[in-house]
Amino acid sequence: MSDFGGMEDLLQDFLQEANDLLSDVDNKLVDLEKMPDDRALLNDIFRGFHTVKGGAGFLNATELVTLCHLTENLFDRLRNGELELTAELMDVIMDATKGVREMFGELSQFVQPQPADPAVIAALKGVLSGGGVVPANVPEPAQHATSVSQAPASELSEPDWSALHAAVTGEVPSVAPAQSEVITKAEAAIVEAAVTPATVAPSGGAAAFGRRATDRPGGQPTSARRAEERGRENTIRVDTSRLDQVLNLSGEIGLTKNRLTSLRADILAGKNDSETLHALDQAVSQLDLLVSDLQNSVMKTRMQPIGRLFQKYPRIARDLARQLGKDVELVLAGEETEVDKTMIEDLADPLIHLIRNAVDHGVEMPEERQAAGKPPKSLVRLEARQEGDHIVLIIADDGKGMNAERIRAKATEKGLISEEEANTLDERQSLNLIFMPGFSTKTQISDVSGRGVGMDVVKTNIQKLNGSIEIRSEPGKGSVFIISLPLTLAILPVLLVLLGDQPFALPLSLVREILPIEQSKIQEVGGKETLVVRGEVLPVITLARLLGWPLERYPEYGVFMQTAERSFILAVDSFAGRDDAVIKSLEDFRPKGVAGVTTLSNGQIVLILDMKELLSDLGQHSDFGSAVRALDFA
Amino acid sequence: MAADPKMKFLVVDDFSTMRRIVRNLLKELGFTNVDEAEDGAIALQKLQGGGFEFVVTDWNMPNMDGLTLLQSIRATPNLKHLPVLMITAEAKKENIIAAAQAGASGYIVKPFTAGTLSEKLNKIFEKMGQA
Repeated sequence: MSDFGGMEDLLQDFLQEANDLLSDVDNKLVDLEKMPDDRALLNDIFRGFHTVKGGAGFLNATELVTLCHLTENLFDRLRNGELELTAELMDVIMDATKGVREMFGELSQFVQPQPADPAVIAALKGVLSGGGVVPANVPEPAQHATSVSQAPASELSEPDWSALHAAVTGEVPSVAPAQSEVITKAEAAIVEAAVTPATVAPSGGAAAFGRRATDRPGGQPTSARRAEERGRENTIRVDTSRLDQVLNLSGEIGLTKNRLTSLRADILAGKNDSETLHALDQAVSQLDLLVSDLQNSVMKTRMQPIGRLFQKYPRIARDLARQLGKDVELVLAGEETEVDKTMIEDLADPLIHLIRNAVDHGVEMPEERQAAGKPPKSLVRLEARQEGDHIVLIIADDGKGMNAERIRAKATEKGLISEEEANTLDERQSLNLIFMPGFSTKTQISDVSGRGVGMDVVKTNIQKLNGSIEIRSEPGKGSVFIISLPLTLAILPVLLVLLGDQPFALPLSLVREILPIEQSKIQEVGGKETLVVRGEVLPVITLARLLGWPLERYPEYGVFMQTAERSFILAVDSFAGRDDAVIKSLEDFRPKGVAGVTTLSNGQIVLILDMKELLSDLGQHSDFGSAVRALDFA
Repeated sequence: MAADPKMKFLVVDDFSTMRRIVRNLLKELGFTNVDEAEDGAIALQKLQGGGFEFVVTDWNMPNMDGLTLLQSIRATPNLKHLPVLMITAEAKKENIIAAAQAGASGYIVKPFTAGTLSEKLNKIFEKMGQA
């Protein structure tokens, strides 16, 4: 069911733009706390609500108009110096902003928003009527805000513009009555027209954009499908110059295709002199170049600055810090770094969790900080940057750091690892224990970061994106979480290895080097085959064994692979080179250890192996303890 | 005066959804020759380029607001005769007076229907016809 017959497109546009606007307002609100008298900020925030109100009016979102209107008036008073920004007032504003966001949520399900929380409306009205801040937790009887739509429309009282203009500018138009009369008449009309704030389309009347008269705001139960769709934006904004590039390249590919078609005709007609073949060679090379350019350009259209995600976080950090009585500033850097759109969406939750974690567990209370000789205000840094073909995200705090000893103790206490295992773990491995399911250092699960989602989920989500997460921590100085992600998920550079004559594709990102294996150099350590590479003892795992194939002859080559936590040598028969695989997922059927399939240039279909999954399968039969398995391949 | 459907409009608003709404409403009224500008400054640049016959502008915009745009248009010899319709959510008396003083040709309060817009436009066309 939709309350927006025929206007869904417009609504989508509105929401996208209005959401950006509101995020911007959120950030400016955080800034405003630091500079409560900054007129430019006040103006910008005012305009934010004002603009949303204007758009909402056309969508007949009456409740949204009401809420924005009240908030906008409040900012009007603030910028005119008629009100002073207090902490209590800030809370009212934050609540109102939250209300607006909730209404966007309803709108995104094509449902007219329900009235705002009466307490919020009452608080806003209280401030506007000069009655001071009514604490929002004292609910007034559910008195619906005098909805602006109830104000009578005032189309009839239109001042005579030319007469009015003449009057105020002093010119005497031929047809106008006496000046003073015009002014009073016009003003009276204006006052009449003006006192009804933001005349919303008359209820029941012909509304803008063919909204059916039978449509009623709110109250429509949303189907589950819609609710699911809601989480994801299905539209994307692309710089037109990028689209032009795509268009341009596809045009050129068209031309090259024509050239090839004509060459094919020639060749089929028996023309195969060196000139024709040379032309064919040239055309194919050109096509090669153009297609890879096109792939890059199309990929770029999916790239979005990560700032769009980041901009929500200062507000979250601020709210949380306030709740906990901490003084925290979230500093953003590298917002312009571009990341694949799907990845941005999938990063939202892990990042929120890490930021909450930093504010909740990472940084100390102001008094504690002062006692330790640190500034009372703590800094949490959220940074993005591109490093080669990877995106690196950093969440760093200047808090108390993590204590490896305590983490080990906790993990043992919880029975996640045995005492012996704990003793073998080094600093880095100990810190990584926090990614184990069921781990939480706070004895009391705080309402804040402990919403049933643990760090293990963060790690799993990052790994789903083919990324890795790493912790560095220095006691007393703070902790740093480093997330490393591939630039895009659509194309995967792979190494093609052969087992017998069957090729398999391995993600190239895991491959460090390729080396020949001499069977005589293989050493058995604890019943396991190992190979020493430059002083490092590496386990040798044959691909045949991983796949459960019989080992027909001993593999000749080793691929030195490095997953997030572990290095090993994958023994294979031979290679077929590297390739940029376009991953196709297997729709209904997904054998374990297979990430997807890709097609080679000769048309052959190749399986892309999911090393982590294959290894975890192996791990179950090995002597590695469950803890180590969780650490390495979770 | 019957309005020429080829009349070239400039719609000025910082909110692209709003520009789209106004553009759609104009289209409903048969005006399809519409260009857009994001704020007063850009609008003024486009207007200087010539060819525009009607300006529909929002009031509240960053960089250059609608009122300043209106004032600039009236102060520019080759633009000052352009009809300017102000769109705003403010229906405050002082705003309307300010718009009138600056020489607005009309004033329309958000939200509005194609019918209302048509009415306002026709009034302006009438005035232009008389002039």
